[in-house]
Amino acid sequence: MIKVEGLGKRYGGRTALEDISFSISKGEIVGFLGPNGAGKTTTMNIIAGYSSATRGRVLIDGLDVLEHPMETKRRIGYLPEQPPLYNELTVDEYLAFVAELKKLPAGQRRQARDEALELSSLVEVRKRVIRNLSKGYRQRVGLAQALIAKPDILILDEPTVGLDPLQITEIRDLILRLGKDRTIILSSHILPEVSMVCKRVLIIAGGRIVADRTMDGIAGIEAGSGSVVVRVAANEEDTSRLLSSVPGIDRITFLGSFEVGSCDFRLDAEGGKDLRRELFAAFAASTLPLIGLRTANPSLEDVFLELTMKEAEA
Amino acid sequence: MAAIFRREILSYFVTPSGYVFLGLFLLLSGILFSFGTILSGNSSFSGFLESIQFIFLFSTPVLTMRLMSEETRQKTDQLLFTSPIGFYELVLGKYFAALALFCLAFLAILSYSVVVLLYGDFRILETLSAALGFLLLGASFIAIGTFISSTTENQATSAVATFVVLLLFWIMEPLKSGLPQDVNAGIVFSASLALLLCYALFAATRSRIVTLLAVAVFAAAIALPAVLWPRIFSGLVASAFDWISLLKRQESFSGGLIRLDNIVYYLSFIFAFLFLSVRFVEKRRWS
Repeated sequence: MIKVEGLGKRYGGRTALEDISFSISKGEIVGFLGPNGAGKTTTMNIIAGYSSATRGRVLIDGLDVLEHPMETKRRIGYLPEQPPLYNELTVDEYLAFVAELKKLPAGQRRQARDEALELSSLVEVRKRVIRNLSKGYRQRVGLAQALIAKPDILILDEPTVGLDPLQITEIRDLILRLGKDRTIILSSHILPEVSMVCKRVLIIAGGRIVADRTMDGIAGIEAGSGSVVVRVAANEEDTSRLLSSVPGIDRITFLGSFEVGSCDFRLDAEGGKDLRRELFAAFAASTLPLIGLRTANPSLEDVFLELTMKEAEA
Repeated sequence: MAAIFRREILSYFVTPSGYVFLGLFLLLSGILFSFGTILSGNSSFSGFLESIQFIFLFSTPVLTMRLMSEETRQKTDQLLFTSPIGFYELVLGKYFAALALFCLAFLAILSYSVVVLLYGDFRILETLSAALGFLLLGASFIAIGTFISSTTENQATSAVATFVVLLLFWIMEPLKSGLPQDVNAGIVFSASLALLLCYALFAATRSRIVTLLAVAVFAAAIALPAVLWPRIFSGLVASAFDWISLLKRQESFSGGLIRLDNIVYYLSFIFAFLFLSVRFVEKRRWS
């Protein structure tokens, strides 16, 4: 559905994009991750047709965005980092304008606007002037603008930035709902959010794609898949004595005390083996109460840091 | 285009700019009509129209300063350029919106003619000719303003630059009399003009060969007559200024003479500036 081939972009002497290639099939929700200045916004701008690439091309359903701008732009709804709002208009006036701008047939505009208002929960503010709306509402007006023409593809640049936790949850639920029958690309620097919404992440650093993984793939990659963190209600000495008697543990690391009267340990297994059953047996046989046990799979943060650090070193 | 036009008109009336423009225009023209026509008993409506042309200097920047600048500053251009509309639709929609507001002000001013019709000697054909000239001049100035607005994202810069450029067109007439009129000045003037054209050609094509070829053609076209018939360069500067001057061409309109070449001139002037605006808007995407 979206195919990006060897995208490069230079601003004056500075290289913003080195070489970006990926493809996204229909119905995927893909997360764009990367440090500031990595090229996320530039890539999104090029896909949406706002700016042009120095090299490479973007195909939407097989059509080049530069050669067929009208056809491809009809298929894309874009919410830039700063929502493109006319502050002097009311929400209704603004969305009526966007519906016309997106070349919706005159008979469908009113209905499309009402649906977008409904979807973005904006019905109660529709008569208000955009300038007077709160940041959360403004963001939702921006989202309504991207949705109004019912595009197959939604590109959302940091859709939850600056929102409070409740609003973030609302937007996230909305994105999940929309993702059922649409292709969505969203960028974010809030990693847990990406892991909750997206099934696949593209990590960009230094103008290149440094990782293209599914979320399941991320959970199992790199070292540490056999690591476990335990919390024991006992002192450090007794616990480490007990732990050293458990077979199959490669390394025991004391992490500290995060709860009164307890201590946390990280245990790495030989060859990524699952230690949980052995640990249960060992603690059951002892008198030390085991009050927490979780696998220490690397989080998206870990993967992200590792990959971007690697890029920085190279 | 209709969407852009409608939004632009709406914005004129939900922000102060539309009211400031209409207020300025009607206040100044009202004062001039009271003093110049009613109180002094002058029944020439075309003369009145000519006398209020200077209002364009102040009112055009108010009308055009935010057209493109505001889109860039508020980043609403991201919405426009990712929507299925062409760059020309965008520029034309905005231009026609500004023009519509100007026509509204003009209609209000035309209503003053009732006073002349009732109490004076109203020359209908002369007034129609003057009105056409007035509209064409206003439309040309708005095209300049539209273009300048598309080059900057700062409204104040846009307004000031528009004012300065319009002022330059205004003082072209008095400026002309101070310019040298001899043969050498004419040759230097033609050569500078030719160089400017060659530079524009180079900027557009980036081809050294084409540019050098053009330089050669221009050099021959200037050198040959300069040697054979130097007299044609005498007074060239003044006639060039006369030709460019937007105001000089108003004289025939207010005198009741509608000349096709003048109409064509204004229309091509408008077209040229709108074309440049489209190119500028388009080019920003590539930078």
